[in-house]
Amino acid sequence: MIRSMASLALAILALMAACRGDERPSSNLVLANRIASREVILFFESPELLLVPETRTLELPQNEAAALSIVLRELVKGSANAAIPRLLPEDAVVRATYLLPDGTAIVDLGGPSLVDGWNTGSHGELMAIYSIVQTLAANFPAVRRVRLVLNGQPAETLAGHIRIDRSLRPMPSLVR
Amino acid sequence: MKRAAALPAVFGLAITSLLLAQSPFQVTLRLPGGDRQVTIVEQPPHLFVAADELVAALGGSIVRDSRGFRMVIGSAEGAFGSDSRFGVIGENLVEMPAPALIADTRPYAPWQFFQQLLHVSGRDLRWDPVARVLEVKPLVRQAINAKVSLVDLEDLTKIVFELPAKADYTVRQEPDAFVFQFRQPLHGPFGERSYESPYVQRIVFQGDEVRVQLTSTDVAGDTYRLENPFRIVLDLRAGEGMGPSGRPQAPRPLRPIDLPGIRIIVLDPGHGGKEVGAVGANGLMEKETTLAICRRLSNLLGTTLGTRVILTRSDDSVVPLEQRTAIANQYGADLFLSIHLNASAVRDARGSETYFLSVEASDEFARRAAERENESPVSATGPVVASSDVRLILWDLAQQQYLKESSRFAELIQEEMNVITGVSGRGVKQAPFKVLVGAMMPAALVEVGFISNPNEEAKLRDEQFQNTIAQALLKAIERYKSEVDAKSGPETTAPASGF
Repeated sequence: MIRSMASLALAILALMAACRGDERPSSNLVLANRIASREVILFFESPELLLVPETRTLELPQNEAAALSIVLRELVKGSANAAIPRLLPEDAVVRATYLLPDGTAIVDLGGPSLVDGWNTGSHGELMAIYSIVQTLAANFPAVRRVRLVLNGQPAETLAGHIRIDRSLRPMPSLVR
Repeated sequence: MKRAAALPAVFGLAITSLLLAQSPFQVTLRLPGGDRQVTIVEQPPHLFVAADELVAALGGSIVRDSRGFRMVIGSAEGAFGSDSRFGVIGENLVEMPAPALIADTRPYAPWQFFQQLLHVSGRDLRWDPVARVLEVKPLVRQAINAKVSLVDLEDLTKIVFELPAKADYTVRQEPDAFVFQFRQPLHGPFGERSYESPYVQRIVFQGDEVRVQLTSTDVAGDTYRLENPFRIVLDLRAGEGMGPSGRPQAPRPLRPIDLPGIRIIVLDPGHGGKEVGAVGANGLMEKETTLAICRRLSNLLGTTLGTRVILTRSDDSVVPLEQRTAIANQYGADLFLSIHLNASAVRDARGSETYFLSVEASDEFARRAAERENESPVSATGPVVASSDVRLILWDLAQQQYLKESSRFAELIQEEMNVITGVSGRGVKQAPFKVLVGAMMPAALVEVGFISNPNEEAKLRDEQFQNTIAQALLKAIERYKSEVDAKSGPETTAPASGF
């Protein structure tokens, strides 16, 4: 009994040591963990039905790939001006973001409204999608195009109108 | 990391399926008169048959036009385009298990397409994967047991035929009857039954036909199918839906190929079924209003312009976005108009918006691929088509050759809509609308009003305003048709196709 308990304790100690080894920060994480205050531009819809910039200061990791999701989660929260409406459903979430070497930012969206079928019009869908595209393009020079996926899977549209089965680039005609 | 792997996995699957494709080779085609050879392409799990060889072996003929391939075998007429999963047999749109393809200049379609085509003329086609033989036999038609119910509602009579399994059929409209023609005999619950119904005199089961005899010629009807269990529904109403003569219009054949002018218009009521679209604060649903406006516009177009009008849906059903465009392509439509109601987070947003497809800057690679493709040598039977990935990109670019016409069409719609909404300064816009991508004809999408604005929601609910919208859209289509007609001289041909 004592021998088996000792074996178990040794196994646990070995496992803990292994885990500590895994937690050793990689050089990439060191860069990601270097946090600095940075002014970012978020895009929301104006009463003229165009996207307008709003600046906000955020604590962001210097690693751009790691900063994408933080900026987008700030965008999803909505404008600081309560009179300006949210563009994405209230329960929308940014699950993850990835930045591919060719400059494609992959944005993985989720949340019940988007996943179950978002009931909005073309205009609402267009503004929501391009607020994301415009925000990423304005803040991250490395981002050349944006590909949206839903719950980790490619999707045709978010609400039945605007195609998201290909990468999207900023559309200046939507911005004031 | 699993999520990150999802996209590469999809691309990997596409590449794998391309690698699995084999070069064309010959198998035995067993006909009642003896064996022949026919060329096939295997792309597991699909088997594609060379259309020209099979059609010739069965005594038919096949022609190629800018939209695809049309064939006649006896009484059966069919058509399919490359890269599309949808084909036409007679008047019916059929879905194939895989898109048709072209290899070595020769068109190939899944064998199941030809099976359905042969069923029209009482023959069957089977693929025996063990013996590796395609066999043509007379079709053994087993009778189907059908149930029927008729319900008179307030202003509608609903007839439902319930069948044990999916069945192929066509609907023929006669002045005072709807006739459902099946490919098998039907055993109905009765041979003939009379009804005391405002629109239905009697229903007759006879062989492979079911005849719904109407009480007068002034009855309009919509028919659609429901699944699980398989049902065919016929909704009958007074008056609406009459043709120019005041009578229901008999089906007309597919349009002659590549004639200039506007002869067939496809109207696309946005959303449907569980995809309700936008919903107003007071409960108005986009899917219902778009269908109502399309029906009104369809009637106006039929009576005023005499054009053939096809709706991508005539009931509350889900129609995939790709299928909406496929319907327009396979019927060889000259104009495609998708009708929607708008919604915005900005509550007082109002007025109409009209869109045509935008060309994304990210399509640069696709454009270059298409240019290379268009420079390919052309053989006597058609262009030499390159690899499948390029053909997929070409499908993406289908609408691009009509952007100028689509822009003009959208402009006219916006002008007419601005007149009725009283909102000026709204221009035509471009956006990457999924429903417009594959349209091989001028195409636009109109957002007739903002359902998210309670004032506009109330107007959109009003039938008079729905009529006003339909009238404005009719005027825009009339203006566009006049412009096309003015340009179309006897020597005018259809737009050159890059396909």
